Amino acid sequence: MKEASMIQTGQKISARNVQVCYGDSPAIRGVSVDIAPNTVTAFIGPSGCGKSTFLRCLNRMNDTIDICRVSGDIRIDGEDIYDRRVDPVQLRAKVGMVFQKPNPFPKSIFDNVAYGPKIHGLTRSKAELAGVVENALRKAALWDEVKDRLGSAGTALSGGQQQRLCIARAIATSPEVLLMDEPCSALDPIATAQIEELIDDLRQNFCVVIVTHSMQQAARISQKTAFFHLGSLVEYGDTDQIFTAPHDPRTESYITGRIG
Amino acid sequence: MMWVFDTILSLPVLVIGLAVLAMIGAQVRARLAAGGDLRRLAALPRAHAVNAALSVLIPVLACYAALSVARMIGRQQGAQILPDRTLFWAVLAVALIGCIDAILRASARFRARAASEAWIKALLIAASTTAILTTVGIVFSMVFEAANFFGQYGWRDFFLSTEWAPNFRGNSALGILPLLWGTLYVSFIALAFAVPVGLFAAIYLSEYAGPRLRGIAKPLIEILAGIPTIVYGLFALITIGPMLRDYFAQPLGLGDSASSVMTAGLVMGIMLIPFVSSLSDDAMGAVPQAMRDGSSALGATRSETIRQVVLPAALPGIMGAVLLAASRAIGETMIVVLGAGAAARLSLNPFEAMTTITVKIVSQLTGDTDFASPETLVAFALGLTLFTLTLCLNVVALMIVRKYREQYE
Amino acid sequence: MSEPANSLLAQGARTRRRRASEARFRACGLAAIGIAALALIVLLTSVISSGVGAFKQTYITLEIALPEAKLDKTGQRDPAQMAKVTTFGYAPLLGDALLAQVDAVGITTPLPTKEIAGMISKEAVATLRDHVLANPGLVGGTVTLDVLADGRIDGYFKGRVTMQSAALDGNTSPEALRVAQALADAGVIETRLNWRFLTAPDASDQRPEAAGLGVAILGSLYMMAVVLVLALPIGVAASIYLEEFAPRNRISDLIEVNISNLAAVPSIVYGILGLAIFINFAGLRQSSPLVGGLVLTLMTLPTIIISTRAALKSVPPSIRDAALGVGASKMQSVFHHILPLAAPGILTGTIIGLAQALGETAPLLLIGMVAFVREYPAAYSDAADLFGEAATALPVQVFNWTQRADPGFAERASGAIITLLIFLAVMNIAAVLLRRRFERRW
Repeated sequence: MKEASMIQTGQKISARNVQVCYGDSPAIRGVSVDIAPNTVTAFIGPSGCGKSTFLRCLNRMNDTIDICRVSGDIRIDGEDIYDRRVDPVQLRAKVGMVFQKPNPFPKSIFDNVAYGPKIHGLTRSKAELAGVVENALRKAALWDEVKDRLGSAGTALSGGQQQRLCIARAIATSPEVLLMDEPCSALDPIATAQIEELIDDLRQNFCVVIVTHSMQQAARISQKTAFFHLGSLVEYGDTDQIFTAPHDPRTESYITGRIG
Repeated sequence: MMWVFDTILSLPVLVIGLAVLAMIGAQVRARLAAGGDLRRLAALPRAHAVNAALSVLIPVLACYAALSVARMIGRQQGAQILPDRTLFWAVLAVALIGCIDAILRASARFRARAASEAWIKALLIAASTTAILTTVGIVFSMVFEAANFFGQYGWRDFFLSTEWAPNFRGNSALGILPLLWGTLYVSFIALAFAVPVGLFAAIYLSEYAGPRLRGIAKPLIEILAGIPTIVYGLFALITIGPMLRDYFAQPLGLGDSASSVMTAGLVMGIMLIPFVSSLSDDAMGAVPQAMRDGSSALGATRSETIRQVVLPAALPGIMGAVLLAASRAIGETMIVVLGAGAAARLSLNPFEAMTTITVKIVSQLTGDTDFASPETLVAFALGLTLFTLTLCLNVVALMIVRKYREQYE
Repeated sequence: MSEPANSLLAQGARTRRRRASEARFRACGLAAIGIAALALIVLLTSVISSGVGAFKQTYITLEIALPEAKLDKTGQRDPAQMAKVTTFGYAPLLGDALLAQVDAVGITTPLPTKEIAGMISKEAVATLRDHVLANPGLVGGTVTLDVLADGRIDGYFKGRVTMQSAALDGNTSPEALRVAQALADAGVIETRLNWRFLTAPDASDQRPEAAGLGVAILGSLYMMAVVLVLALPIGVAASIYLEEFAPRNRISDLIEVNISNLAAVPSIVYGILGLAIFINFAGLRQSSPLVGGLVLTLMTLPTIIISTRAALKSVPPSIRDAALGVGASKMQSVFHHILPLAAPGILTGTIIGLAQALGETAPLLLIGMVAFVREYPAAYSDAADLFGEAATALPVQVFNWTQRADPGFAERASGAIITLLIFLAVMNIAAVLLRRRFERRW
């Protein structure tokens, strides 16, 4: 437990010296970061910098890729999530994820949101399940738009609605952390604005980690920002500080648009 | 000159001779028109030659085919029309006209290449009509004789009678129901075996197996699809049949026949595994990875993802696969000929020998056949029923598969 | 160390149940693959183990006396005169020769003469007669000849016939097998490799030991030639039209569905088509490789068209654009550029189509190819035109043999299957190699 004591208390997620390799080629080289609860943390950086890969380490989605090897230490609430005893299935119930492209299941809106609670056995009755679904849809700011057509296909919604449906789907399992992998990159500006507003609300209940391509977005919605470059964490700090007074010249080049 | 008529074989020689003549003639005329400068021609002399050859050969082929068909129709009506000699002169005349026309047309401004491409396109179109002609041929070959059959034997007796007892001295009972029952029973057992096995194999291959296992298992399963049905038939006859009889049917007191619905059904099931598995594999492969990621990010196990997300999404494709397999099963012949038996019977006991539509088509049409008796003609009515049945299954299956493919493209 | 209630390190009861069901599901998948693989292995081993015997054959070496008095009464060695002596005249010579051998080896047996003679195949008489007629000079002396042993004796040396089964069999007896064993110990009877199986024609019901695949293989080759000559050009032409020229409308849609359906029409229906159209309507000969080839052509066409279209489709549009861009006509771009690039794919599809056609049985039964054929068909004859003479085909020969009573034919049928599977394996491997060799990634 020596290492655990090194980790600052009060942090939701602590990563130490995380390395990821795809086959022989390294994607992440020794990243250490602490992520606080009830904050929005943004990962920024040019494409291929490893920010998405790192995000996928946090709920072990990288396990689904055969050639991917993760080493180092990632703890959530002080528990090593790569411990042999951890079942990724339980981990992912605790760490939800929203993807770049909205990916609702080919089921009804209700079934999409009810999917998580059902597989994890979170509810005992139909009424309870309906309550969970409604609550999740409300938190995702989608309830008013779909409450009359919960039975229609999730794929029939507009892009922005689909993405909010996916957020509702993730919320429904009552996770503690929400990972978002460029959630707005496939959406138009209006839908993007809605999602950003939603993310800001979500902060009250969840620890949100968001990967984004857009620096403006990071500046608008996050409290903490981490800048990744070539698989390394270059700089991590308060969003205001990163965007106004970066310590590292590479961060400065990136936010002023010289690299990336 | 009479030797010319001795054999119809001299006709190809003459026609080819005329074609060569046309090629040379057209090329020479084109070169003359060019007057030494080929750039003055609308088409190269070679194109003129190709066009000339085609203008002889294609009309000749068309004419020969048309006259031959006319001759066959004539013979069908009992008339000997168009003797060899007429055919000979008619074809030769067409060849000659084509030859002269091609030579005369060769000029500086004649676009020989476009003309020859039109001929080739005509050939291509003719080739693609064979597909339609085959279907038309299938329907015609059965409709006429089947109509003949229903003229002699009531359709109600055929479709509704539960007795099948052909008797070549006449007075046969030719009810399709026992055959249909046998067909459906065998197909049902085959599918009951092949669908779970094929589907689970596809699930494992597409969702669990690593590239190594997949690289071995997939071709291995596909070998099953490449084995001729006669091999499966022999397998049923010499291995599975006796085995089922000795270890299941006799100890259980369910019968002592090696050929049975179970024998044929099981062996057919083995044959159908690759049909179900490879199409289902394709269908599951077409489900976007994002769906799987979405599900596992919510903490679903792989089997939950497969059962609740992948399979429902791939369901249309899998349904198509099952329907196509059912169509195969209903139309399969050799396995049931060698494995199911020849006795028409309406029974529930799967260890009893029963027979199918295809078996009876074979038995009524081989050996001494008399195309005037209902006992022979019934085969065409059976064939038509079989064709209609499989056609419906195929078309529905193809529609589903096609629509499904568009959905994810 | 105690962990909090919702610790990730402890697997909850529900998660454990879900993991168990996951493992069961996965095991089902693996089992399904196992079942399929097992079925394939059982199928192949059963056919091969029962058929491999057909490639071996038991022969009896006999010194046969050829008395002039019986075989050539005129003494002039005139083949026409000698041909008047039928096989009945030769039969006793073989029996005597075997009896003499039995005595020479020193076997004493209560077996009657007729049963000893019965150890020789009924085919042997014809072999001897043909041999003598071909060499009239042999008459008057003795000739040493390897003749076929009877199917039961042959079966004994391959393990198919046992003392127990012989006791129940009217065609042989344990004593005959004992004599045969003694003769084998003396080197008179020998079981060796049997190339005749691949070259000899079929034999009648009583003589499984003489039956071979020669006529069937030749018939199959003739049909494959017809299929190749017709199906490949027609299939390629049709695919070119449908893929490159046909307007996209309801008619081409209909043709497409039509072709897919034709690929799934039961093969027996093609047999009915062949019977009604090619034999009854067009008046072609029953049992001829031409009709068989035509039927198989129609069956193979959809396969070839589907794979050819896929091959054409896989040539990227940039090639078409490049050809059209330098002023080639549509037809030239297809024949000069696209077709050569698609050729490996087309060839692969054609080989697979041919392999399917080679194994097809049901439609051939309906067009009379199941007939008993002992004569090699000629490719061309005045009476029957091209490929018009009665023939049979490999898979049909298998079926034919399964319908015969003598158990020796079951071995022959399995042996024929092995031959058929070897042909198919060679074709499919060729297709795979072709694909590997020329596979192109755009």
